[in-house]
Amino acid sequence: MTAATARTTPIPIEKRFPLDLTPSIKTIGDLYEAGKEMRWIPNDDIPWASFDASVFDAETLAAARLTWSRRAWSEYTGLTETPALLVRFCLEVRREADPKFFLTVRNTEEAWHVDVCHRVAEACGGYLESPADEAYGQIFNQDLHQRALDSGQSLDAYVATHCAVEDGLELELWRGYLDNARDPVLRRVLELCVADKIRHAAFGWFYLEKRAPELSPADKALIADTIETHLREVEFRGYHCAWMTPGGAAADVVAADTKTAEMGLGALPPEAERAILADYLALAHGRLENLGINVTPLEIPQPGS
Amino acid sequence: MSRTSELTILDRPERRFPLKLAPQIPKIRKLFHASAKNQWDPRTDIDWDLLDLSKYSEAQLRGAREFWSRRAWSEYGAISESPALQIRFCQDRLEPDLQLYFTIRTQEESRHAETCFMMADKLGGYIEEPYENVYQKSVSSHGVRKMALDPDTPLEAIIAALVCAAEEFAFDVFKYLRDAVTDPVARRIFQLIMRDEVRHCAFGWTYMDYRVKSLTADAIKKVEEAVIVMVRDVELNGYHRAWLAPDSPASALEVKADRLAWEAGLGGTAEELEIPIVVKTVKRVRRRMKPWGVELPAFNHPKIGVL
Repeated sequence: MTAATARTTPIPIEKRFPLDLTPSIKTIGDLYEAGKEMRWIPNDDIPWASFDASVFDAETLAAARLTWSRRAWSEYTGLTETPALLVRFCLEVRREADPKFFLTVRNTEEAWHVDVCHRVAEACGGYLESPADEAYGQIFNQDLHQRALDSGQSLDAYVATHCAVEDGLELELWRGYLDNARDPVLRRVLELCVADKIRHAAFGWFYLEKRAPELSPADKALIADTIETHLREVEFRGYHCAWMTPGGAAADVVAADTKTAEMGLGALPPEAERAILADYLALAHGRLENLGINVTPLEIPQPGS
Repeated sequence: MSRTSELTILDRPERRFPLKLAPQIPKIRKLFHASAKNQWDPRTDIDWDLLDLSKYSEAQLRGAREFWSRRAWSEYGAISESPALQIRFCQDRLEPDLQLYFTIRTQEESRHAETCFMMADKLGGYIEEPYENVYQKSVSSHGVRKMALDPDTPLEAIIAALVCAAEEFAFDVFKYLRDAVTDPVARRIFQLIMRDEVRHCAFGWTYMDYRVKSLTADAIKKVEEAVIVMVRDVELNGYHRAWLAPDSPASALEVKADRLAWEAGLGGTAEELEIPIVVKTVKRVRRRMKPWGVELPAFNHPKIGVL
């Protein structure tokens, strides 16, 4: 994890003109159009009044409020990351217009995800503003907004790592939460979020596929290294899968997720998350390899090991 | 945390917790939900087939292309610069309502840029840059990114300058154009943009009303300075209206294009019609900021005089 340092982050200097706004990456342009067409309204498109917390016991509700609070904490990342990434695309000389337009829609969707996760946690007994263990909370301080804007960091490596690989993993996990959810209101929440996340993950992979032919071997090695570092230092330390957090710092979250999953309130037990992680990473490695980006596979620990 | 003036807010390590998400400024939370409800899509909510190019001369179409391209450039500032404000809201751990609302505000601005681009394109082709460097200075930046990232610039100064002042100028431009244009597609575009702009302005004034009571005299002074710079060096320098830009061959061409577009009812503007609007905007902004303790001076512009 790269913490912000006591140095001035260099950001690229903008050269606004010529300002090309013509669509040039059809796949991403289509995602942008789909995002607009599939827009939804958190207040109206989820039958909030139908959620009946009284049918669940106190233990279940306590678990669900923690599961959904944690989800709000991780969804919140987009509120700083996406504006920084958007500005970076604008600052880089001659970057395409489609990603810029797409990212503005993505950021709104991320705000909706934060909003709905917060509401679900509230409905389950109250949103929690912090993790119980400060050590676990540290994993959320990723400074992604700083890295996205830092001209010393490769934009392509950033997109490959966070928009393709990471967002792809997040999508698969959320699909798993949806598949395992029985409550109709929470299923609706998850359906709407998953539909957005499909586009978010597709954006990263489409952009990487567009850029790959123009990347040098050194660029690709840097991308591979950035992805490996992210997996090892962020994902494998519990950012998305709490059971991977070292030292049991997220034991309460793991227990909550297990209970939430059991009661059909939109989560997965550790074993199911591990299976998704393993399948996804195998797929992602293959997809990266096809683009000439060779990431060394990491051994995925077993839950509880 | 110690910091030097060289550092920006990007250099502060993130501290996510406690992460507050409950509404703290209900009026702004309502704007967030109102925006979610009032989304529109330039491709489907505008009947582009009503644009009949055969009604216009080649010169008028050229003028209108330039006008709409310039509108796209100025909307683009809200994509390239204003998102830095959202980073500021989060890094300063300000009210979550601001953080949520600003995401959709940026999306609305990008919709405006897209719409203006599409209109220019349909009129014969979007133009990628102004005639010359001289005029570029008027439309290339409103300086918000730099201010937003600077921890020594109070956020309230930026909101007052960018939203309460600049958005009011933009709002009045759109309001005037909505009523003045005769082309049905141009009119529809201004109607849709205006609806968003109403919320953008409301956001700024609501936030400042919420914050201003707790500002120190020094902070109020910085608000005042930022607004003066925005009015004098950005708006009265032609950011939204080409005729306000310093005289040069380049700006003369932009002004000519505006007039051609205006005469065709496709957009644009004419200096003599807009002078009273600009005067009214300045007066209104000055009047609304006065209760905060912000005293805007008289501004001088060669084409308007003292205002």
